[in-house]
Amino acid sequence: MDPSVSNLDLEQLSDKDKAELRQFVSNENQRTRVREQTHVLTDICWKKCVTSSVKNGALEKGEQTCLANCVDRFLDVNFMTLKHLGSMRQG
Amino acid sequence: MSSSESVKQTVIKQILLESNTANARQLIEKMNENCFEKCVPKPGASISSSEQTCIAQCTDKYMAAWNQVHQAYMARIRQEVSNNSFSTV
Repeated sequence: MDPSVSNLDLEQLSDKDKAELRQFVSNENQRTRVREQTHVLTDICWKKCVTSSVKNGALEKGEQTCLANCVDRFLDVNFMTLKHLGSMRQG
Repeated sequence: MSSSESVKQTVIKQILLESNTANARQLIEKMNENCFEKCVPKPGASISSSEQTCIAQCTDKYMAAWNQVHQAYMARIRQEVSNNSFSTV
């Protein structure tokens, strides 16, 4: 870790700044989770939607639609799986 | 600047640096994997100029795909939050 951070005296933080830091860390964690899931989804949906050879650096219209649908349907499956598992547990 | 403020700013800066680095590393790793797959189907003795062109275009395209996916994912999250469906799962 950066030495300037390991040498920090966290006791110097005021209560207000401590609360602000906690909020910042919690927001940053959430942002990280979304970005990580985006990496996973992009990998999956790229393989499904970008099937032809690369002709230029932009997405084609059909690929754009496919990517958006791919995300939505993947999440549908995610919810359905959880729901099904939930009903198995009850039944 | 108070010492509390300067400690806070240092911590925030370090967290952002580390999380942005991790994000870039993940993007590069996946981009490498997928563009290698697409642009170098049969690895030859050296990388050809058409493969190089493909890699450059594929890199741009992968980032465009990432942004497209991120947008769709965020829209879905907002929708699920407003439908309050997270509490039922």
